[in-house]
Amino acid sequence: MVKYTIKRFGLAALILLVAVTTMFLMIRAVPGDPVSIMLGPRATPELKAILTAQMALDQPIWRQLLIYLGGLLRGDLGVDVFSQRSVSDIVFQQLPYTLELILVSIGWSAMLGIAMGAYAAAHPNTMIDRVTAAISVSFIAAPAFVVALLTLLVFAVKLQWFPAIGAGEGFADRMSHLVLPSIAIGLSWVGYIARLVRASMLEVMGESHIRTARAFGLSEPRIVGIYALRIAILPVVTVIGVGMGFLLSSAVFTEIVFARPGLGKLVIDSITTRNYPVVMGSVLVSTALFVISTALADLINAILDPRARADL
Amino acid sequence: MKLEYAKITMNRRSVLRGASALGVAAALPATFGSQAYAADGNTLRVRSYGDMSTMDPAHSVGVVDEEIHGSVYNKLIQYKPGKEWGWQMDAATMIEQVDPTHIKFALRDDIGFTNGFGSMSAEDVKFSYERIIDDATASPNKPDMGSLSHVEVTGEREGTIVLNAPFAPLWSIALPYITGNIVSKAAVEAAGGRIGTDPVAESGPYLRSNWAPKSKTTLTRNPDWKGDAPAWDNIEILPIDDENTAEIGFEAGEIDFTRVSLGSVERYRAGVPNGGTLIENPSLYYLWVGMNLDHPKLQNKKLRQAIQYAIDVPSILEAAYFGAVEASTGIIAPGLAGNRAKGLIAPEADFAKAAQLLEESGETNVSLTLDVINKTTFTTTAQIIQATLASIGIALEINVLESGAFWESGSNENLQLILNRYSMTPDPYYATSWFTSEQAGIWNWEKFRNDEFDQIHKAAAEETDVAKRAVMYERAQDLMEESGAYRFITHEASPVVHSAGVIPALRPDGLGLYRYFGKT
Repeated sequence: MVKYTIKRFGLAALILLVAVTTMFLMIRAVPGDPVSIMLGPRATPELKAILTAQMALDQPIWRQLLIYLGGLLRGDLGVDVFSQRSVSDIVFQQLPYTLELILVSIGWSAMLGIAMGAYAAAHPNTMIDRVTAAISVSFIAAPAFVVALLTLLVFAVKLQWFPAIGAGEGFADRMSHLVLPSIAIGLSWVGYIARLVRASMLEVMGESHIRTARAFGLSEPRIVGIYALRIAILPVVTVIGVGMGFLLSSAVFTEIVFARPGLGKLVIDSITTRNYPVVMGSVLVSTALFVISTALADLINAILDPRARADL
Repeated sequence: MKLEYAKITMNRRSVLRGASALGVAAALPATFGSQAYAADGNTLRVRSYGDMSTMDPAHSVGVVDEEIHGSVYNKLIQYKPGKEWGWQMDAATMIEQVDPTHIKFALRDDIGFTNGFGSMSAEDVKFSYERIIDDATASPNKPDMGSLSHVEVTGEREGTIVLNAPFAPLWSIALPYITGNIVSKAAVEAAGGRIGTDPVAESGPYLRSNWAPKSKTTLTRNPDWKGDAPAWDNIEILPIDDENTAEIGFEAGEIDFTRVSLGSVERYRAGVPNGGTLIENPSLYYLWVGMNLDHPKLQNKKLRQAIQYAIDVPSILEAAYFGAVEASTGIIAPGLAGNRAKGLIAPEADFAKAAQLLEESGETNVSLTLDVINKTTFTTTAQIIQATLASIGIALEINVLESGAFWESGSNENLQLILNRYSMTPDPYYATSWFTSEQAGIWNWEKFRNDEFDQIHKAAAEETDVAKRAVMYERAQDLMEESGAYRFITHEASPVVHSAGVIPALRPDGLGLYRYFGKT
């Protein structure tokens, strides 16, 4: 298991390096002089020269890349050219907002989706199974931005039950600010997870060890909840791990619609102003988040199912 | 009345059920209280379109920073809230232009800086202004100071601003706006010469008590402020880029003041939720179609004039701006010296004249490109222009560009027509400065070169007689229009809404002067 973990995280580091290098080169391929865009109409040649030197844009690209990677090795993500603040500070100040949004969204959707899927699988081809299927497909089909706007108009503007904008302060306030954004992001995941768990459960329920458990007279809830669900949940763990990328991209629009701080909003703002150091820092952390979550999903799978360790 | 008690059994399941019910009951008041998130009675919540970037006026990037700086710093003079541009005293008790290049001032004696940096003195004014024009500061706001030479300190709280040449915008841009903020010399020097994102010393009616990046900036009443007491204990400035999101926040009772989108104006005219009020203000933006005079396809003046006459501005305003804005007559906005009552060409298209000009030009099978930034308003505008030019036989291809590529258009030699939009500070000098020969290929993308225009731009900046300045700037815009390189469209508008308990204090272009906001 230790060897597996080392190999898995070694691969994750390699993926991160490739992603960062690719992003570095892609950003520099975007048309438009970043210095002119940053400084706007008040840019004098002298100011442009200062900023160009500060950002090392007068160096060949390969040297810029080496400077950046060298900084990364020292744990230095650079400095925001506007505010002169450390990029690490800026990014890690925004990261918790995005993390809490993603975790709460996936948390409630996984709980509800797994319960719906397991219940439907335990009662196949009944009315409740069909209703669950219809609800799941409806949730999957509902575009997140439509859900966001509808929930805002109904629960924030009309009923004023939940706050519409911002991230809140203090635990209770922050949680209440998470309700509507996490519904917007998580609703389609409820449907995905429910369908996935149902299909997986039906397959597992037909296996011989489940028949054996029944033959031993174990109760149906115990068979479903303990023996079947533990195996049926494996694909869900993998999907959630890979789905982190999707969740991060969903967080971008959610942060804009709900005026929440977070990594997504930071990336958009930084790209618009060509603030390269902040763009790179944000992308690096989001990529790391994605790579770590997939690696963790693999590890959890390996813990739950030893056969998975042989795949690497 | 007889009460019968059922037998109460305590087992694991009933305990869990009871605990769950208690948990839900406890959570209900926090989450299901109608109006629970409306603004607090002593806190004004306003929306800004961006987040603060610095507390240093020398490196301020514009309105977003100034909304904060204007409340925590003082200036000699501030913009006067109202429908007409003007200024009022702030830190100055006296300010007087004694001759075209000398302005004497005297400071109030009751303004102090926080963090133990003492009272505000003329040395602080000298330091604040001179560091803006010092090349070592590398301030992008240096041009706002125009011909400032230095500040002479004549007493502890008296001094004279000395200019190298007369500079009329000193009263409309330099002193009451970004560069006019007075910082503490001792505090800035102690901080190594540069202020970052935390203030080193403040002096205004509010103090910046907290900044949560991308989330909220909080201003709190300055307990040591001796001037007129501000009405609100706290001001929370929320950075919300999207106007539609801000509108939802306003309607949910979470924002007290915000600019709204032009598309929502009609709805708000019919009634503002929660007893709020809509205020429609002109804006300082200006939108126009420019034609690159250096491009081989646009050398024929008659062709350019045909394009000017074929563009139907009212159709654009109806389709792209929902009829919520007026046509413009030039680059200088209403309310400023030099705004023309009418342009040389009427906003309505004259297709007969356009067709005649095209025929006189001798050009046939004309096909051109129009570059436009990727915003819905501008792409809609471009489509209207495409349709109207097609009616006189000019084929127009629309190039939709991402902002980065668009703002590089000055160096694009293949540029033909461009739909462009600039903003300005409240002085005509700022508007004409981008269209001089010196700016050709930089911000003058039409490559408009006119000696008379250049002379007017320079002379009008030095002219202190408002009426004379107005005539000069009107002539400058006539020259632009006569060149055939410009078709002026609109100055847009700046509609804002505020909640029932707020008495807003606005610049004529609708931007908030938060330190002066009142409450009912």
